[in-house]
Amino acid sequence: MTRLNAAAMRSFAAVIGSDWVMTGEDDRIAYSDHFAGDEQRHRPSGALAPGSTEEVREIVRIANRHRVPLWPISRGKNFGYGGPAPVLKGALVLDLSRMKKIEVDAANGTVLLEPGVGFFDLYDHLQANKIPLWLSVPGNSWGSVAGNALDRGVGYTSYGDHSARICGLEVVLPDGDLVRTGMGAMANSPNWQLYRHGFGPGWDTLFCQSNFGIVTKLGLWLMPEPEAVMGYDYEFDQPDDLGWAIDTLMPLRREGLIQQSPSIGNWLRSAAVMTTREQWTRDKGPLDETVIDAIRKRFHIGWWSVQIRFYGYLDVVEASTRVLDRAFDNKPILSKKPARWVKGDPPEGSPVTGVPVSFPLANANWHGGRGGHVGYSPVLPPRGDLAMDQFKRTYALYQKFGMDYHASFAMSERSLVNVNQLLYNKDDPEMMGRVDAMFRALVADAAAQRYGEYRTHIDYMDLVANTYDFNDHALRRLNERVKDAIDPHGIIAPGKSGIWPKGQRT
Amino acid sequence: MRKDLLPLLLLGFMAGGSIGARAAEPKPDGSTVENPFRGVMQDRTAQSPEEALFVEKCGMCHRQMGMGTVILARRMDPKVAMLEARNNLTVQFVIAAARAGLGNMPRISRGEVSNTQLARIAAYLAKVPGK
Repeated sequence: MTRLNAAAMRSFAAVIGSDWVMTGEDDRIAYSDHFAGDEQRHRPSGALAPGSTEEVREIVRIANRHRVPLWPISRGKNFGYGGPAPVLKGALVLDLSRMKKIEVDAANGTVLLEPGVGFFDLYDHLQANKIPLWLSVPGNSWGSVAGNALDRGVGYTSYGDHSARICGLEVVLPDGDLVRTGMGAMANSPNWQLYRHGFGPGWDTLFCQSNFGIVTKLGLWLMPEPEAVMGYDYEFDQPDDLGWAIDTLMPLRREGLIQQSPSIGNWLRSAAVMTTREQWTRDKGPLDETVIDAIRKRFHIGWWSVQIRFYGYLDVVEASTRVLDRAFDNKPILSKKPARWVKGDPPEGSPVTGVPVSFPLANANWHGGRGGHVGYSPVLPPRGDLAMDQFKRTYALYQKFGMDYHASFAMSERSLVNVNQLLYNKDDPEMMGRVDAMFRALVADAAAQRYGEYRTHIDYMDLVANTYDFNDHALRRLNERVKDAIDPHGIIAPGKSGIWPKGQRT
Repeated sequence: MRKDLLPLLLLGFMAGGSIGARAAEPKPDGSTVENPFRGVMQDRTAQSPEEALFVEKCGMCHRQMGMGTVILARRMDPKVAMLEARNNLTVQFVIAAARAGLGNMPRISRGEVSNTQLARIAAYLAKVPGK
């Protein structure tokens, strides 16, 4: 499906203008996964950039008539998961980055966004209009607010579980019909962004990580600016500190004292942003302890580190911090640095207070040259001993494949999300040759524990979907039945999350 | 070995005194915000429509603490790691870098930045008179 349908392309141009039908070689390359070793594997046949919901609907109708597979992207900055590139080579990217409307309800702390709105755009809008609402941003804030929430991305504040803060969607269905979910199902309802559930079955989560429709508007709750932010940055000296640190924090997280999802990361998570490997060693093999110690010493970082932050009234966050102090009483921490911001202070100016950033992407430069990474992110129960087991097994696989261990464990209310990055150098074919086998070994290792990934790269959507195997993959069968009913011609994002249209299943 | 460019950069733009780039004042009790990545907020202001377009489309990576700025500071004098501090950029080079990508910089698609917009940004960075 790489040959363009000329009649379809003429129809698309008639709807959105020929400038926004982009099918040159440069365009196909621009919409490929620039982190990939072999960009050809997922090269699209071009891209369309509509400017409105009505144009999206018309494109979908034309795509149906001509059986043209579309790959909708919000802004295409899902780096580490495929960027703008489609699962299916030759699909036509539907780039929604021109759709940038923002409607904030300052009184209620909500926003209704189009998919092209990036975190920096929304930040600028709130600042310019002096609206006292804070964002929750991911480590790469270049991307789309809506796209990140729909892919279940996470951030640093108590609003960090982004998909959990979605309230109401507008969706173009695969036949061009337009639906609004939740209270938006009632025309002109004032409650669309205020009450999630509406009446009857809830559909919002069906459009997360799925290919059942194209979200053209997304409602999201934003955090009212708190009076104070307090907490600590903890550093831990030993690899084995991971277990007790998680067991110390998890009760506070489960009870709700800690409202954000603290992410305990290893030394490389911090160091890969600040330095490059070649500054420390020319040895290509696994890093030895003396190198790790030297890097840690230079940047004053622990083997593991975690930031805990409380948000709210000063009295309350001070009291919360005291409880945290008690929890860590007599625990062998390496260091504890206090953090304190109170309304009226100069801006704290970091992601923990909702400031968008892109510098964490500098970790792609860890190996020098043109770098990239792929994310491996299994979910496990929130227990220190299980986290230690997970860490040791994963570490052993990193050693076996000669890669540098880069990991974190984010503490949700009832689970740990173990986000690992495989940092690589695109221009080192020998290294690139190890990445695929290593990724497959990691997924198999997690599946053996009955752990599944929460999100994955376009190369591995079938692999990960296969691990969700209860009752001979009953969930996949259900997804396929929905897909067949809602998108019989299979035009929306074939292969997304392992969901393929009829006739393309293996 | 220049291993600590991040703190260096941080200091660099904190000294600039632009909005949001100030170091936290010590509190009366002597404590300060100790987050090493504090103060990474960019100056998002602009004095002209061309500069505003640059901020909207490129600033996230090429102003203070952007990915591009951080990586470029490893390869050249950190004082000119920000593109706007450069005096040697040409229109042609900016357009080629954006469309073809460069090093760790991904290619910028026409959907994200149109040819017309890119020409305006390139003129701004090349310091074409009047831009």
